[in-house]
Amino acid sequence: MRKIVFIILLIANTSTLSAQLKIGDEIPGIVLKNQNNEIVNSNQFKGKFILIDFWASWCAPCRLGNKKLVKLNNDYGADKIHIIGISVDTDKSKWIKAIEKDKLKFTQLIDPKGFDATTAIQFGVEALPSKFLFNEKGVLIAINPTDEEISKYINEKK
Amino acid sequence: MKKINNTYLLTAATLIMMLLGTNTYSQISKAEIRATGLTCSMCSNAINKQLKSLPEVVNIETDLNTNTFTVTLTEGNTLSPKVFKEKVEKAGFFIGSLVLTTNAETIKKDGYILVNDTSNNNAEVQIQILDKGYVTDKEFKKLSKSLKNIVTYTSNNEDDFHIKYLN
Repeated sequence: MRKIVFIILLIANTSTLSAQLKIGDEIPGIVLKNQNNEIVNSNQFKGKFILIDFWASWCAPCRLGNKKLVKLNNDYGADKIHIIGISVDTDKSKWIKAIEKDKLKFTQLIDPKGFDATTAIQFGVEALPSKFLFNEKGVLIAINPTDEEISKYINEKK
Repeated sequence: MKKINNTYLLTAATLIMMLLGTNTYSQISKAEIRATGLTCSMCSNAINKQLKSLPEVVNIETDLNTNTFTVTLTEGNTLSPKVFKEKVEKAGFFIGSLVLTTNAETIKKDGYILVNDTSNNNAEVQIQILDKGYVTDKEFKKLSKSLKNIVTYTSNNEDDFHIKYLN
């Protein structure tokens, strides 16, 4: 009896520890809904740089960071880098308001469970904002890169 | 073998429940923690994780507008308010305010010192901890002046909790 409990605890423990994306890992398949309630699959963006940005409407540093991403998106265009914002807002209306207010034109998806959101756990998100940059092969090349670093990666590829 | 184990477990469970039943006088049922710090406390999962590591924590709710974590605790726990301070600080933040919901009997015990004279006949009371590390620095400075006649307050003993009723 005690042994079984111990084993269950052990399994529960290791499964929570392993949920952390590392450099060199492949992009996990993400299937979430956008602000128009359409299902978006991250696989469709393969072949170009993908930046995944975890944020929430109530997170002030995220909102500031998003403004920079708008600029990055305008500078390079979606054929060079595809930016995907994943909000962990539990209140969908606040999320949509934030998208409109900050004029976010790049892909926006929602996983509305805060830090308990499946994708947040999958990526090992422990703080907001969190950014993950994947190359055109879908391999993770940087965690929380600065805008300058992202530009450098894209320009190197030219 | 299995049968023996089951009876054993049942007896243990009953015993624990009996113990809990007689011990309910010393418990905090809810803690409302407002966190402060240099960075956005809600943008980090650290406080949540630290609080969840306590076996006495049943549920944590967050209010994003007030930066407050509302923690529901198991019945019959014997947690000291100190635990919340330790956990929040371990996560890299500070307590801005700590409000506890507790049985009226609990605060008659050693360590709790009431600083306002208002009487309270409620069976369940809401109290705020006023000591250093449980209020903002600014509030602590103010309180140090207004409570300067209370010797225990100025001596900053970490096991003394100066409280005021909120209900």
